[in-house]
Amino acid sequence: MLLEVLLALVLGAVVLLVLRRSKAAVLKTEDGWWGAGSPPAGAEDESIRPFQVETSREEIEDLQRRIDQTRPVPSLEDSQFNYGFNSTYLQKVAAYWRNEFDWSKQVDKLNQYPHFKTKIEGIDVHYVHVKPKNLPEGRTAVPLIMVHGWPGSFYEFYGILPLLTEPANADDVAFEVICPSIPGYGFSEAPRKKGFNSVCAARVFLKLMRRLGFGRFYAQGGDWGWQITTNMAQLDPTAVKGLHINFAPVENVGPLLILSILLGRRFPGLFGFTELDVKRLYPRVEKMLVEPLKETGYFHIQATKPDTAGRGLNDSPVGLAAYILEKFSTWTDHEFRNLEDGGLERKFSLEDLLTNVMIYWTTGSITSSMRFYKENFAKGFYPPHARIPVTVPTGVAAFPNELMHTPKLWAKQKNHKLKTYTTMARGGHFAAMEEPGLMAQDIQKFIKVVEGKK
Amino acid sequence: MWTLQELDRPKLQLLALSSVGIGLTYFLVWRRKAKKSIPLGDGWWGHGQQTLRDDNKIYPFKVETSEDEINDLHRRIDQMRYTEPLEDCGFQYGFNSNYLQKVVSYWRNQFDWKKQVAKLNEYPHFKTNIEGLDVHFVHVRAPHRPGQKVLPLMLVHGWPGSFFEFYKILPLLTDTKDDLAFEVICPSIPGYGFSEAPHKQGFCSLDAARIFLKLMERLGFNKFYLQGGDWGSLITTNMAQMKPQCVSGLHLNMLAVTKRGVGMLLSLIIGPYLPFLVGFTREDVRRLFPYFEKNVYDLLMESGYMHIQGTKPDTAGCGLNDSPVGLAAYILEKFSTWTDRKNRDLEDGDLEKKYSLDDLLTNVMIYWTTRSIIPSMRFYKENFKTNPQNRVDARTGIFVPMGHAAFPNELMHCPLPWARWRFKDIRSYSYMPRGGHFAAFEEPRLLAEDFVKFVRKVEGKKR
Repeated sequence: MLLEVLLALVLGAVVLLVLRRSKAAVLKTEDGWWGAGSPPAGAEDESIRPFQVETSREEIEDLQRRIDQTRPVPSLEDSQFNYGFNSTYLQKVAAYWRNEFDWSKQVDKLNQYPHFKTKIEGIDVHYVHVKPKNLPEGRTAVPLIMVHGWPGSFYEFYGILPLLTEPANADDVAFEVICPSIPGYGFSEAPRKKGFNSVCAARVFLKLMRRLGFGRFYAQGGDWGWQITTNMAQLDPTAVKGLHINFAPVENVGPLLILSILLGRRFPGLFGFTELDVKRLYPRVEKMLVEPLKETGYFHIQATKPDTAGRGLNDSPVGLAAYILEKFSTWTDHEFRNLEDGGLERKFSLEDLLTNVMIYWTTGSITSSMRFYKENFAKGFYPPHARIPVTVPTGVAAFPNELMHTPKLWAKQKNHKLKTYTTMARGGHFAAMEEPGLMAQDIQKFIKVVEGKK
Repeated sequence: MWTLQELDRPKLQLLALSSVGIGLTYFLVWRRKAKKSIPLGDGWWGHGQQTLRDDNKIYPFKVETSEDEINDLHRRIDQMRYTEPLEDCGFQYGFNSNYLQKVVSYWRNQFDWKKQVAKLNEYPHFKTNIEGLDVHFVHVRAPHRPGQKVLPLMLVHGWPGSFFEFYKILPLLTDTKDDLAFEVICPSIPGYGFSEAPHKQGFCSLDAARIFLKLMERLGFNKFYLQGGDWGSLITTNMAQMKPQCVSGLHLNMLAVTKRGVGMLLSLIIGPYLPFLVGFTREDVRRLFPYFEKNVYDLLMESGYMHIQGTKPDTAGCGLNDSPVGLAAYILEKFSTWTDRKNRDLEDGDLEKKYSLDDLLTNVMIYWTTRSIIPSMRFYKENFKTNPQNRVDARTGIFVPMGHAAFPNELMHCPLPWARWRFKDIRSYSYMPRGGHFAAFEEPRLLAEDFVKFVRKVEGKKR
């Protein structure tokens, strides 16, 4: 009896799967304008202007004054990072920031790559453009756009950029990389109007690539970068040659998914579940309900009241650092919640972490960065693009400590041309920053599969 | 295997009767075994190890301020880094930045904290050490008028409120001209305002309830009334569950609905069409439905703060403890939205319609000057650590006389049939004509009237 039911379910699922695949829709979008007031008459200024990150003594002194004014509240005894950023360790970070961190030096580091700004849909879009320096004869660099997420920035890619633009191996592909800042983040201007979601960001970035003369290119992203690059592939599949993602949460819950959740533990082989898959998904209630609930408070408040959530953080640099760096701790490894120092300096240097925080601080962009959450969930969890599959060649790098784990079977539901799926050796959510070598290796592997097929 | 269809009529009747009989017996036996109180437990929340010395003394306390404190506040307000709001967003994205600048300007240039401190000190304040923590409270005695009966009462606040929310209702309860008056104790929940914050993990509403019971005992009150909303509602309910013999009556202006499965589902399905069948009034229907929109969607929209405070309070409160403007925006957003959800569509959140900026900012100053925003948020995490529906107090009924004032703009509406699931002796249930979550602050006269009406019913039945 049970076997018959099971067979019927599986058959039904297969039928549904086949039916679903045959109606692959295209994502539609309309143009937008995000500046203040009404758009001016006449054509938009499409010039590309070089940009330099700058700082001043006033900026640094103001920061130091505010750090000095911090009013610390001791953490509860033995609570480590379980209540959020531990107060004792936060004072150590603040002391380093106040006395040793050299923002001028970091600004020079940021400027080692050329930055630009250009106006698209009424707002200034910032990006870093890195070309390979030593390209062998007869070879062209492969264009690649890499999109960051929250609470990251283009700076997360500074470790991987040399590996992609000047690869060590002769037979590795050399990339020409564009790292933009999402509008509302860092040096990109924030939209003034409501409604700027990931599809709008995707459209803006497609226009950027077109303006830079790239007709076809690869895209890479994690966190919001995953969503935006996925939307780019859905909006213009001919422009996106290949999509490499390190984050692939499920948006569409279908019968096959439910079946795999119910039976995957007992019959992992049936669904292609690996040991890591089973470890990350079971026990079900703990891993799929309790853990996400514990870690999505920020998401909930940012998706509903971003202006309130960001208000205090824009005045208090230590508050901003605590809010952002808590993620760099917990999203790198959940076990870090039980460490007094959150394990923060095990995988990252304080210098790099604080440079990322400074990008949010000096541009005052924490509130606009949070608004992106509200704009993306304005119409609920099931927007049109969640129902549309991705039809460009895709590669998934599944890092073992990523926030949400996606087995190959689930990734295939959305990405119909899944070319590579790699279970990575180590690493968490901020993969490019934490494990640039591993990430670069997987991007190379993916490109070779896609280019090889040609 | 026999089936029901094979049984003849007499056998079916026998089956039905015996089922009912078994069910009834089980119900009665189970009912008798049902607990009427919850255990008190014990705790110690001070630094390090518990000291043997037990200080039971009550010390008078005065709220104080200094030039340094006010100058520091002004400096920080001046350092605010403004962020432009989106066009036409009202209060939908949170506290509107444009209106915030007006509030902040008033705070910087016109708000007189020294004058407000003097106002706070109009009533006598005290502190006493319980379970390792200094517990703050205001104690207001009634001017004894001849022929007046004075009953003891404790009022418990919630988040993001404080004892100050009760300052308008205090004279209405203590200084009455008729035969009934109250002697009122307004404590601060440990971790809020002038009450010391717990140094150990695990301090939840049960612990606050036990500490407040010890407080009343220390003050010499054997039987008293309780009134509360928000966390105050849960804490006073716990107090009534721990020592029902001490609680004359429990009056609440907010009732958290604990899901009761099939019963609730049925009333939700049938309620809009045949309300009388499930015990709903027309007013219940008006306040509850459309259910999804009003209770699920709206609750999701408004519970982000609860989610982050219930998981990462130290992170959530960190920036707010350095930025007074950030703190004000965070707290006052609730005074706007929880007074009336429609305020979300207004540029100024209609904040000053029901409250004065002086009163609102005094409440914010209590959090600011005591640096208690983080400990106040931790209370959420401590209460949600164990599944709140499985905790001992959620599985136990409340048997003391209870009265509920249901304000129309409260966050959740709880109809009488649902309240009856847990409260076994409801003496009064009133649909209030106007008012929201901060009832004592917004409509002190209405709340006082309903509370006194409830007390008279309880006292009347006693004789």
